[in-house]
Amino acid sequence: MQSTKFKMVQTNNLTFEYKKKEAVFSFPNIHLQEQENLLILGKSGIGKTTFLHLLAGILKPVSGSVLIDEVDINTLSHSQLDKFRGKSIGVVFQKNHAVTSLSVYDNLKARLFFSRKTIKRSEIDSLLNQLDLIETKNRRVNELSEGQLQRLGIAMAVVHEPKIILADEPTSSLDDENCTMVMRLLQQQAQKSNANLVVITHDARITSSFKNVITL
Amino acid sequence: MNNWIISIKNLLHKPLYTFLSIFSLSISVGLLLGIQQLDSSIQNQFTNTLGNIEMVVGAKGSPLQLVLSSILHLDNPTGNIKYSEVEKLAKNPLVKTAIPISYGDNYKGYRIVGTTTAFSKIYKAQLLKGKEVENSMEVVLGNDVAKKLNLQLGDTFLSSHGLTENAIEEHEKSFTVVGLYKPTYKVIDKLIVTNLSSIWDVHNHEENEIEEAPDEEHREEKVHEEHEHHDHKHEDKEVTSILVSFRNPMGLMTMPRNINANSTMQAALPKYELDRLFRFTGVGVKAISWIAYTILLISCITIFISLYKMVRERAFDLALMRTYGASNFQLFRIVALEGILIVVISLIFGFLFSQIGLYFIVNLFKSQFQQEIILTFSTTKMLNNVFIVLVISIVSILLAIFPLLKMNVSKILSDEK
Repeated sequence: MQSTKFKMVQTNNLTFEYKKKEAVFSFPNIHLQEQENLLILGKSGIGKTTFLHLLAGILKPVSGSVLIDEVDINTLSHSQLDKFRGKSIGVVFQKNHAVTSLSVYDNLKARLFFSRKTIKRSEIDSLLNQLDLIETKNRRVNELSEGQLQRLGIAMAVVHEPKIILADEPTSSLDDENCTMVMRLLQQQAQKSNANLVVITHDARITSSFKNVITL
Repeated sequence: MNNWIISIKNLLHKPLYTFLSIFSLSISVGLLLGIQQLDSSIQNQFTNTLGNIEMVVGAKGSPLQLVLSSILHLDNPTGNIKYSEVEKLAKNPLVKTAIPISYGDNYKGYRIVGTTTAFSKIYKAQLLKGKEVENSMEVVLGNDVAKKLNLQLGDTFLSSHGLTENAIEEHEKSFTVVGLYKPTYKVIDKLIVTNLSSIWDVHNHEENEIEEAPDEEHREEKVHEEHEHHDHKHEDKEVTSILVSFRNPMGLMTMPRNINANSTMQAALPKYELDRLFRFTGVGVKAISWIAYTILLISCITIFISLYKMVRERAFDLALMRTYGASNFQLFRIVALEGILIVVISLIFGFLFSQIGLYFIVNLFKSQFQQEIILTFSTTKMLNNVFIVLVISIVSILLAIFPLLKMNVSKILSDEK
């Protein structure tokens, strides 16, 4: 994985501490080139979600740095980081949620609005078609099935064509068939957006889908 | 997509909360605006009706009753005073005008006021048609009377005794309409104006009839006697009250006290009496205003609870928006806009409620008391109320969105539902 070539995602000596729990986490360095994917495996409580939040700039590390597209995200101001996250990062959560008061289509529009990006209506329809969500376009999110919500979560993470897609336990509650389907969709969308895909999970079933695997 | 659309969709997502918040706030705004507008309109109307009348002189009794009956034509007179007193008063050098009025009859509930031509000048009433009263039994109709009773120039009618409509005690001499006034939006619009002779003639005619009834044979003799004593009788004529304005403040300072102490009449000061009346009615206005303020406070607490609850319940949604790239300030705006939308819609509905309510109250006054209230609009008072509503609402909104400041996005997203 180490390379002298241009790196799209890079972390250096990241550590984080939860003051209340007095638990200190140290994370391995990662270096990903364009379109390179990574699977990070680890047991529960080892700090997988913390690592993902550090990569997304949701948490600030105690030490170390996170570089995405050569930008050290921890040197950015709050508003710069918000903008950067909106434009360059897409996150898929273990249980997928979307803004409950909005329809499927409006959620995607809101995602683009916060990312300060605009895409054509036909492109949104095309994405919804690929994820088999076109029928649910005008439905509220609380009317969706778990599978549809999962796919909407993927759509929300890729609609703005981010540079990196971070997925937190995207398959842990799914059966084998759906697990394969979700992984296929994530990889397809990452490839389509020319984004790096970083999946953090304890689910060993998806190991075969990745060339690069790290264990925490 | 923008912050407004997200806020509107959030509001529509919880229609019951939104409805209750808007409804309760609208009611309090409506009550506040309505009661204050009604109060200031009535005060304006009454003060406007005073014109330049500085003192009313009438029979002893309640001074407020004298003012209400002689100026606003709302109450019964306190009694009668001698016409000679009018002449005496008018000669006083401190007095600018002394206008006698005499009433006690009505036509279909509208008061017939016997007075002089100076009476219409108090209200700056101008003729729409016809002429002023010149002879006995001629009348000029106030604009509302003409419209309501559909009377035209040349029409005649019989008046009834008393101040309320009745067909039993009708007088026999008929009045003729010789003029119609333009609308003044003052009390004269509701009056039938004639001269003093008409009132005296109507009543003298009846007195004579009562005297004549037992002995028809002596009629001619009695009529002859009447003519002989006409001049003497004129001195005994009575009027209900005198509307006085002074040449200078000295009159106002000395004359009322003098009349009250040294005569069988009473002098009442309309401005003072109406202020006293407003102080009494002001208690009711204040009570309703406090009720409205209480509802306002409760409404704002409702807005606070509903927004606060929303922030707590939708913490995950809001945290998600942060991962989408929304700044904290953007989240503030979205939540604050929801509150602002509720407040603005409530202000609009509140204003509409107040106007609809006032429309019904004005009509009630019109039908029950034959008093037309011209609604006046005090922009300053309204802006004061809107300012109070906005301040309380903004405090509620700020308190509700305060938890957003302390929102730990990572923790919320880690504690997934």
